[in-house]
Amino acid sequence: MADELEVTVDKFVFRVAADRLYSPEGLWVQAAGDQVRVGLTDFLQQRSGDVAFAELKPAGTSLKAGDELAVIETIKVDISLYAPVTGVIAAVNPALENQPELINLDPYGEGWLVLIDPANWEAEKASLRTPQVYFTLMKGQAEAEVGSA
Amino acid sequence: MSAATTVVIVPCSGIGKTYGTVSREAAYELVEELRPQDTRLVALARLVLGDAAALDEIASHPAITIDGCKLACATKMVGECGGQVAQSVDVLDAYRRHRSLKPQGIAVLNENGLALARTMAEELAVVVDAQNTASQQEVQHA
Repeated sequence: MADELEVTVDKFVFRVAADRLYSPEGLWVQAAGDQVRVGLTDFLQQRSGDVAFAELKPAGTSLKAGDELAVIETIKVDISLYAPVTGVIAAVNPALENQPELINLDPYGEGWLVLIDPANWEAEKASLRTPQVYFTLMKGQAEAEVGSA
Repeated sequence: MSAATTVVIVPCSGIGKTYGTVSREAAYELVEELRPQDTRLVALARLVLGDAAALDEIASHPAITIDGCKLACATKMVGECGGQVAQSVDVLDAYRRHRSLKPQGIAVLNENGLALARTMAEELAVVVDAQNTASQQEVQHA
C-alpha cells in the first residue's frame, strides 16, 4: 500500500491513499497503464456500512462522467455510484460477485470496482481532486457527520 | 465441556440496528419456538458485564453466536470469555444467501426481516441438532 493520509474523527479512522485522484463524491481513480482503476474511498465505505451486494455495469458499457456506474447495497443504504471519468468499462472486479465485502476490507486494493478505458483522461483528470484536497474535503465531511450524530 | 445437550445462543446486542434486530429475532425464534428444550439464550450484555451465571453458561455449553455485523461482537465476546463457539453466523451473510428477504425496520422488522430471522433460526436448528448428536455420541463412547 502506498503512503496514506489518515485522520481520526471520534472513534473512526479514515485513510486516503496518496497515489491516486478522487471525485468529491468519494470514488478514487488511479491510472493503470492506458486504463484507470476506480473504487470507493475508505470514508465512503465506512460511512455506507457493510456491503451486501455490489451491482456493477458490465464490461463494454460506455459511460460519460456522471453516469451511473454501480449500485452498492449495504446494511444501511442503497447508493448509486457515478462514473468519475468518461470511457468504456474494460473490466469489472470479478471477486466482488462472491466477496463484495472486499470493498470494506480493502477499499484501495482488492476491493476495486472497475477498470475503464478513458476517453478523455488528460482533460478529465484535471477535474478530480488530489489526495490532499480530497483529504481536507473528507475530513470536513467526517467531522460534520460525527458532530451531527 | 459438558455432554449435556443444551446449546447457548448469543445474539448481537446492537440496539437501533436492523441487522441486530434480525439477529435477536432469530435467537428468540430458535430458543422459544424451534428448539426450546435444547437451547438457552444468553444476552451479550451479561457477558460484557462479567455476570457469573452467564459466564458459567458459556463455560459449560457450546455456543452459537449470531452477529449483526462484521464487528462480530457476539463471537468475539464468547471467545474472550473462554467459551467454545460451535457455530458463528452473521445476518449479512444470511441476507446474501436469501436476497429476496431484505430486512428493514429497527424496533419492528418488516415481513422480510422476520422471514430472514425465521430462516436463520431454521438453519441454526440444524446446527443445534448436530451438536446434540455429537454430544450423545461422546457420551456413548465415554
